[in-house]
Amino acid sequence: MKQKKAQMKIQQMAFMLLAVTLFFVFVGLFIFMIAYSGLKDSASTLEEKNALLLVTKLANSPEFSCGGSFGNEKTNCIDADKVMALKTNSNKYSNFWGVDSIEIRKIYPVAYGVRVECTLTNYPQCDIIKILDNGISSEFSNFVSLCRKENIEGKVHDKCEIAKITVSYGGDNE
Amino acid sequence: MKQKRGLQISFAWLFAIIVGAIILFLAIYTSIQIIETEETALDAQTAKEISILLNPLETGFETGTSNSVIVPTETRIYNRCSNEGFFGRQIIKVSQQNFGEWTETDIDIGFENKYIFSGNFEEGKKFFLFSKPFEFPFKVADLIYLTSSEKKYCFIEPPESISDEISNLNQENLILENCLINSIRVCFNSGNNCDVEVSYNGKYLDKNNERMYFYSDSLMYAAVFSDKEVYECQLERIMQKAEQLSKLYVDKSNLIAGEGCSTNLIQDLNEISSLEGSFSDSVDLDGYMINLAENIESKNKVINCRLW
Repeated sequence: MKQKKAQMKIQQMAFMLLAVTLFFVFVGLFIFMIAYSGLKDSASTLEEKNALLLVTKLANSPEFSCGGSFGNEKTNCIDADKVMALKTNSNKYSNFWGVDSIEIRKIYPVAYGVRVECTLTNYPQCDIIKILDNGISSEFSNFVSLCRKENIEGKVHDKCEIAKITVSYGGDNE
Repeated sequence: MKQKRGLQISFAWLFAIIVGAIILFLAIYTSIQIIETEETALDAQTAKEISILLNPLETGFETGTSNSVIVPTETRIYNRCSNEGFFGRQIIKVSQQNFGEWTETDIDIGFENKYIFSGNFEEGKKFFLFSKPFEFPFKVADLIYLTSSEKKYCFIEPPESISDEISNLNQENLILENCLINSIRVCFNSGNNCDVEVSYNGKYLDKNNERMYFYSDSLMYAAVFSDKEVYECQLERIMQKAEQLSKLYVDKSNLIAGEGCSTNLIQDLNEISSLEGSFSDSVDLDGYMINLAENIESKNKVINCRLW
């Protein structure tokens, strides 16, 4: 009788210890899940912050900016000729800005009813210049002036149009 | 009977002690692992946040303005650089003090489009940042200078332009008069006890018995605030970017030629591009290269269709 009671006690304790172990394991898993989801959130928040700050500065970076090509130095002015040259070398710049896509879309005036993507053969009779194109999930944009040199009746003029530069990130993660 | 009872109790205790010890060990081990993961994550997050906060400094609007970053705990910001690929990489690593010990992290946060000049690492709770554009001859990049508030730089007899710039920056660790005892003495006309000796006209400076060559004020500041290893690596990265930009301007020049805008810069741009491509040390920043850049700049200023 006493032996049975003792065996019961050991079993009770074994179950208790097992339950305590399981409890700690579950608590640990719960903490890990919360920490991991927080980490993922903060990573995407940082990505978003990067894209937001990048879009405001991109038009003034040496690869995009008009500089003194169209008279005095202008802010938020993109040199379309330079960007077309950049487009042809876009493979070199795939990781340069840390975003997935960069696109410049002419807003006004629109050349044709349909939006046409720019290539070296149809430039400047086109509306959209895609510099990087690795999928879009979230995006930020900024209004800019898009300037280029244009020959009208043998004379070279500066032509500036209104455009929107869009930066997107997280396309690969979706 | 008595003996049996004694055995029963001791077995129960033994069982409880062994399993209890295993549970305690697992709990402590898991806690340590979680803490270490959290520390690494925090270091990586801080490094990424610092890098992202640098974005506004690169617009050119923030030139001449000093900004500060304050962190809650004693922090070391390690500045690493690599020259691999077309643009190389700016790498930032952060280590924070936790219970008197520095956290160790293997996670490097890297960016291709940033150029930070500092010592191998900067330590403190408050860090100062300011930026200046580097033009060679076109704008290549905004150089960012990172210093800890614990490091005081005392500029002795600087040229007027530098003196004005520093006083306008109003950055508390950059001093023009009354040098503090522990400050780093930056001399422009070879004084006593100089930590950094700048030959402004010779375009070089000596620091820790090592010579660094510069062109323009932006690179001079870079050399003053950096260790030689960081300076040379970042300068090579800047030249890598300048090479790509020179090629970009050659392509642009060909493109606008179709619109009747011919420039006579293609040959010169190709030459400077190849010099920038073979750049490996600040010694390469010689008179020939500088003259070529200045010549290109003066040609660009007078043509009808300016490239930049």
